[in-house]
Amino acid sequence: MAARCVLGSIWTSLSGVKSVASSSNMSVFQSITNYPQLSVFGIIQSRGIRQVVEKKEGKTTIIEGLTQDTPTGPQPPNPTAQCPIYRWNLQNKYNYTDVLLLSQFIRSDGGMLPRRVTGLCAQEHRKIAICVQMAHRAGLLPDHKPPLPEGHVPKKPKPQLNRYLTRWSIDSVKPIYRAGLKWCKNRISVGHPALRNNVQYGKKILYLKH
Amino acid sequence: MSSFTKSAQQWATFARSWYLIDARMQPPGKIATMCAIRLQGKHKPIYHALSDVGDHVVVMNSRHIAFSGNKWEQKMYSSHTQYPGGFKQVTATQLHLKDPKAIVKLAVYGMLPRNLSRRTMMQRLHLFPEDDLPEDILLNLTEELPQPREIPRRLNEYSQEEREAFPTLWTP
Repeated sequence: MAARCVLGSIWTSLSGVKSVASSSNMSVFQSITNYPQLSVFGIIQSRGIRQVVEKKEGKTTIIEGLTQDTPTGPQPPNPTAQCPIYRWNLQNKYNYTDVLLLSQFIRSDGGMLPRRVTGLCAQEHRKIAICVQMAHRAGLLPDHKPPLPEGHVPKKPKPQLNRYLTRWSIDSVKPIYRAGLKWCKNRISVGHPALRNNVQYGKKILYLKH
Repeated sequence: MSSFTKSAQQWATFARSWYLIDARMQPPGKIATMCAIRLQGKHKPIYHALSDVGDHVVVMNSRHIAFSGNKWEQKMYSSHTQYPGGFKQVTATQLHLKDPKAIVKLAVYGMLPRNLSRRTMMQRLHLFPEDDLPEDILLNLTEELPQPREIPRRLNEYSQEEREAFPTLWTP
């Protein structure tokens, strides 16, 4: 895992000016931490959700990350694996509909968290990113939209169309003017080939070209 | 059944029923196959192509159908006015905005057999863009068919208990 800087009592040793400069960044994040702004020697590794607490004592501002005691949840069935998906044996079992799973890897504005933070392996990170994209396009994550600037008026009202399993971005796709005959048809792609190995619980095969 | 009179059983066998399908968040192709089967009468053991045993089908919320993939942008509906230079192609989005019933109607039309009874079967298909149905059709309905696709739940539709019950995969 990447080395993490712990926002603990180490920060109190820094001068007031430096912490004030970074406090404007840190005040945004209230509960999720570990965005190391400065390299500190004597790095202690620990895991847990931390609460950012600001204290002002005269001229010095102390910003502390206090580790919150989270109740220990159920243990993963495979604790020795590196990637969280492999730890919980969910390798080929998730889809764009599993919003409870996907929401653990996204930011509040809908973007993915970096791999070095979540600890996912490359392939699973890509698959989760693809599923998150499809979930956004299906409208399954309504609260994770990026904040629009104030006073933003949309020029043309976009048509509200329901969709699911959209592989490509809506504005980037061109219409298929000449589809061709049955034996050489220009097919429309559905889903994503990265999820080809997903477990199918019925007799139906996963069709990626419609 | 032995408890029914012969006339009652005859009436129940050959009566034309009215089915209701809710097309909200459903792919129009799957809705169309369900409609086509029931309009032809293929769901009945007494089916014969010449016997006119098809039923009525009412599709509601056809404005809220959901296409998989990028079909809203990629799928094209073509027509020709029979005048030279009259070949018109419209995307599914444009057609849907112009007429919200057209996509389901064209899908069902293409799935019915290509004979003269196709037009009578299309007359027995009733499409409504929203869920407000007229009184006389509501009185006729006998059965509502289950939706072909399971609608996935949005994140805000999960209760707090379900969200807490789901284990956190990683800690920061």
